[in-house]
Amino acid sequence: MSIGTNLRHDSALTHVAGESIFIDDRPEVRGEVHVGVVGSPIARGKLKSIDAREALSHPDCLGVYTASDFHAKRWGTITHDQPFLVVDEISYMQEAVCLVACARRDSLETVKKLVRIETIETEGVFSIDEARAKGEVLYRAASPFVQGDVDAVLQAAPHRLKGVFICGGQEHFYLESQAAIAYPLENGQIEVHSSSQHPSETQRVVAEALGIPFHQVVCVVKRMGGGFGGKESQGAPIAAYAALVADRLKRPARIVLTKDQDMMITGKRHPFQNEYEVGFDPEGRLLAVKALLQSDGGAYLDLSSSILERAMFHLDGAYFLPNVRIEGVCFRTHHHPHTAFRGFGGPQGNMTIESILEDVAHFLKKDASEVRRINLYSGNNLRTPYGQVLENNLLPEIHERILESSRYRERLQEIIAFNSKRQGRVRGISLTATKFGISFTARFLNQANALVNLQLDGTLQVSTGATEMGQGVNTKIQQIVAHAFGVIPDAVRMMPTSTEKNHNTSPTAASSGSDLNGAAALLACNRIKNRLIKLAKAKFEGFVFDPTTEFDPGPDHDAAPDASFVFEDAQVRDSRSGASVPLKELIQTAYQNRIPLGSYAHYKTPGLGFDKTRVTGRAFNYFTQGMAVSEVELDEYTGEMKVRRVDILMDLGRSLNPGIDRGQTTGAFIQGMGWVSSEHLVYDKKRNLLTHSPTTYKIPNVQDTPREFHVDFIENPNNDRNVHGSKAVGEPPFLLGTSVWTAIKHALSFRADGQEIRLTSPATSEVILMELSRPKGV
Amino acid sequence: MRSSIVFYLNGKRQEVSGDLAFLTVSDYLRYERGLTGTKVVCAEGDCGACTVLVSRMIQGRLGPYHSINSCIAYVYSLDRAHLITVEGLKKDGQLHPVQAAMVEKQGSQCGYCTPGFVCSMALLAEDALSKGFTPDEKKVRNYTTGNLCRCTGYAPILEAGVSMDLGRVTKLSELHRDEVVLSELSLVPHESIRIKGVGKEVFLPVTLSEALAERASDPAIRLSAGTTDLGVVSNKGRLQLNRVLSLQQIEELHRVERTPHFVRIGARVSLHQLERELTQEFPEFSSLLRIFASPQIKNSATLVGNLMNASPIADTIPFLRVADAVVILSSPAGERRVGVNEFILPGYKKMDLNANELVTAIELPLTSDEFKLYKASNRKDLDISAVTFAARYRLEDGVFREFSLALGGVGPSVLRFGKIEKEVIGKPLTRALFQGLSQSIRNEITPISDVRGSAEYRHRLAANLLLRFHDELSGEVSV
Repeated sequence: MSIGTNLRHDSALTHVAGESIFIDDRPEVRGEVHVGVVGSPIARGKLKSIDAREALSHPDCLGVYTASDFHAKRWGTITHDQPFLVVDEISYMQEAVCLVACARRDSLETVKKLVRIETIETEGVFSIDEARAKGEVLYRAASPFVQGDVDAVLQAAPHRLKGVFICGGQEHFYLESQAAIAYPLENGQIEVHSSSQHPSETQRVVAEALGIPFHQVVCVVKRMGGGFGGKESQGAPIAAYAALVADRLKRPARIVLTKDQDMMITGKRHPFQNEYEVGFDPEGRLLAVKALLQSDGGAYLDLSSSILERAMFHLDGAYFLPNVRIEGVCFRTHHHPHTAFRGFGGPQGNMTIESILEDVAHFLKKDASEVRRINLYSGNNLRTPYGQVLENNLLPEIHERILESSRYRERLQEIIAFNSKRQGRVRGISLTATKFGISFTARFLNQANALVNLQLDGTLQVSTGATEMGQGVNTKIQQIVAHAFGVIPDAVRMMPTSTEKNHNTSPTAASSGSDLNGAAALLACNRIKNRLIKLAKAKFEGFVFDPTTEFDPGPDHDAAPDASFVFEDAQVRDSRSGASVPLKELIQTAYQNRIPLGSYAHYKTPGLGFDKTRVTGRAFNYFTQGMAVSEVELDEYTGEMKVRRVDILMDLGRSLNPGIDRGQTTGAFIQGMGWVSSEHLVYDKKRNLLTHSPTTYKIPNVQDTPREFHVDFIENPNNDRNVHGSKAVGEPPFLLGTSVWTAIKHALSFRADGQEIRLTSPATSEVILMELSRPKGV
Repeated sequence: MRSSIVFYLNGKRQEVSGDLAFLTVSDYLRYERGLTGTKVVCAEGDCGACTVLVSRMIQGRLGPYHSINSCIAYVYSLDRAHLITVEGLKKDGQLHPVQAAMVEKQGSQCGYCTPGFVCSMALLAEDALSKGFTPDEKKVRNYTTGNLCRCTGYAPILEAGVSMDLGRVTKLSELHRDEVVLSELSLVPHESIRIKGVGKEVFLPVTLSEALAERASDPAIRLSAGTTDLGVVSNKGRLQLNRVLSLQQIEELHRVERTPHFVRIGARVSLHQLERELTQEFPEFSSLLRIFASPQIKNSATLVGNLMNASPIADTIPFLRVADAVVILSSPAGERRVGVNEFILPGYKKMDLNANELVTAIELPLTSDEFKLYKASNRKDLDISAVTFAARYRLEDGVFREFSLALGGVGPSVLRFGKIEKEVIGKPLTRALFQGLSQSIRNEITPISDVRGSAEYRHRLAANLLLRFHDELSGEVSV
């Protein structure tokens, strides 16, 4: 039984030994060239000229390429609005203007500096407020999400609060920066190895860049050194840069961005500025919520429309909003195009309601966890603002259990006592929730295909469209396949993701990698098993296999394999008769009888279809739920914050691999904690990113993690909507990082003299100190 | 005089001369030796993905292994050293127990930071074995402070660290037969080295007089010690290191010496060594060094380097200023001793340093006065300060008999506050006094707004740190 076990990550043994091969670890081959990107020195304006003469005269320079070298001028996941290289209009600082190709890695930077770029600068738009004033709308949500009569209920509500929730962007800080190598093959073909979450799009973007048919391009992804959404769309142009140079020079071409350059060029999590008005009763029950979500999309659309919509889908958080109106608009600014990042708008929506509830509790002088409890989806209150009704809802149970296991009530009393003394430190505690919708909201993306090849020795090679970025999708699929055939996991090898084996794949994103690709792999396994079961049955019934008689299993069918045939311990056994045959022997017999031992299968999530104009239909297959309780301590002299303890309880259905799911949970939480606390993007007036390396951009380090960190799962055996009853885990716990921020807010409430608390995200030491100092000095 | 360096890499002899000697160690490993387990992410010694382990020959033996950031270390600095990379930790195909624990506890996800963590924790295993402690969570944290991970949230890595099987750990010195390495390195003469590459030259003298002569003959030559700063500015293209004078091989500069009146710290003494050496005489400073940078940086960086970098937010300078440290300058003409408060001149990065001089040591006068040192930053560990604070004081019967104050991050250089000091001496410790100072300090400082914080934030920090100083001394808050 390999599902439900803590099988080690399928790359663990090579990761720890330094033997795993990432893009830049591939050996340099004969004639290989190195590609660099020259970026714009201004954030907005016109490109006047590019003078490459001096660069081209450098002995190591093999070429300088501009927009005119590209067949298609623009790319983009949703609309083709982003130039590969600046054509005329410059829209953000460090936007790629031209490429240089060098024979040597170490002359790249020198040659880049020799390219002279002349520009005419015009004034840019750099904030949501400015963009709104100028009407720079990138995308407006088709229809608001509306339930009930918001305005009337708001008017009649006993209490009302109005405000703006502001959260900043976030750098992905995947450790492996964007990278690709393109190899020119015969007949004009290109093989590109990319650090990408979306090889199919990379394949298409490369083909369009070069003006060649899609079948001329193969994109291979062995693994990424982290993705987090940053390589969903934005890896593709990088791969196209390498491919263009490879095609022009007919030499392999490698592009590896430095961390500084990657951080300056690529888009980040969207900053949001959400306006709201809420009405509530004296208990803190939300009666009406009106919200306008506003995001900074940057210069081009990228995935901003879907991200805005996911923010709207998650404005409710884990709470029932009987009367609600949610609108959304994404503005165009002259920032790098903001893009997918773990949670995909969900955190920005969810954090808004959590902030509101914290304020409501502060206003009513009530325990915020109790205010949250009475607002949770429960009983008959299960309808979301977009009409979908929750199934198998465990939120009330999770709430009750985590309050108990975290000793929330006792600790709250301890904190109140602690804070009543002046000792230079103030503490806060907060519970927040996640209820994350699982499915791409674009229905067509909810499909996957898998290729399973059973070898004659009983081992298997499995290829899917899922890309491995550390999240363990390969391991989970390995478990699913090993379980299906009753073999040890080591008998299953996950192969590199390649567009020649799996076509038209969806990005590995939306937490759906294992759901979709695991389900497709299981379907492929079942097809093979159905053939083998028929064969085994015949064998047990005495069918004679000889050169004159051949067994024919007939056409394939996708029904679940006959459960009375058990694949276990590399044997196939008829549990009714007890007859059994070694799997390997059965495979040999199948091969002798010309029965195919490989299978390809396609999976699509059933029952999905959401009409965003009419706001009807089913947006999500199911929800992953969980809660966290965080306790923080603030230094009242410096604003420095420490996380003392965190408890997390997640509903992950029946976990395929609790070890991996635990790692996803702790990793997502800490990343979310970073977003709301120390990760602060700072730009200068010209919009140069100043925090372009870890010296200035502070992701959490090991000392920042909670001194006590408890992660537990609650079993939800009723989840039948996903492969083996499991639930997706990649993004949902990210939203729980919010609890650190609301705990800071709670701590600040002890020093607010009853006034409102003004807190933006990220709550850096500076933000905290300034808020502490606002009502009165320390 | 040699024109090449000799070192061992995972037990194999390397002799390097010419251009290759000027590569960073990580580039040499990755692109010349194909050892791509060592990763480069930030190229500035902040993320630890490039961590490798080094043992250097000192006084005829191989010293204990320590970790360094190979992305900001140069091959030329490896003469007579043994370098172990992540690939070298496996023995006969068997994983090192740290590697096994990382597999077992799911301590790696994407795998990019993993080799660096493995090296840092292999050092933890080594130290645990040689010093006889059992790694607890705190120890694991302290050994991995200089390694960033973006996937795991660190929890599984901490679990791996505390669960590794120490009983199965082979000492690093036995992984690649260091007794053989030592005997072979002993045949390499300890003599000065001059290496020339295309447009580049490095000189690694073994005596101070050679270093001084070189410095005198070429005042523009770059001095290098641990290259934790030079490596960064060079990697980021802000500086070309064409002519370098490395103090690495001068054994006398590696010494900490004591007299009845002072501790003398040689220019090549690492901050890590200092942290351990000063626990008795200057415990407050030793504690500050604990949250100063990462183990990898502290193993290379020096006190003199931090002083000479002369940054207004250098963490050690406020202490040196209130401690009335003495800077020892050497030139062919002899030694010159200058108080650090005279050595640092007003303005940004200005010093009383002649073109032919080297700072060879810093002397800390022993004192029975007490110190309070604070740093405030956006992240407690491994962050550059927004404001630093140092006070030296002696209280007798609740009255200040001695008070010195220095602040960093509030002006173009680290400042002393003579006026405030005079105001405090002779007065009793009261909150009113420090309330007043926290107001008046505003007029004494000129902080700027930058990436680490606004001027207003720094004003407030300066004021609040004065209040903290009072509150801690008066016992109103616990330290």
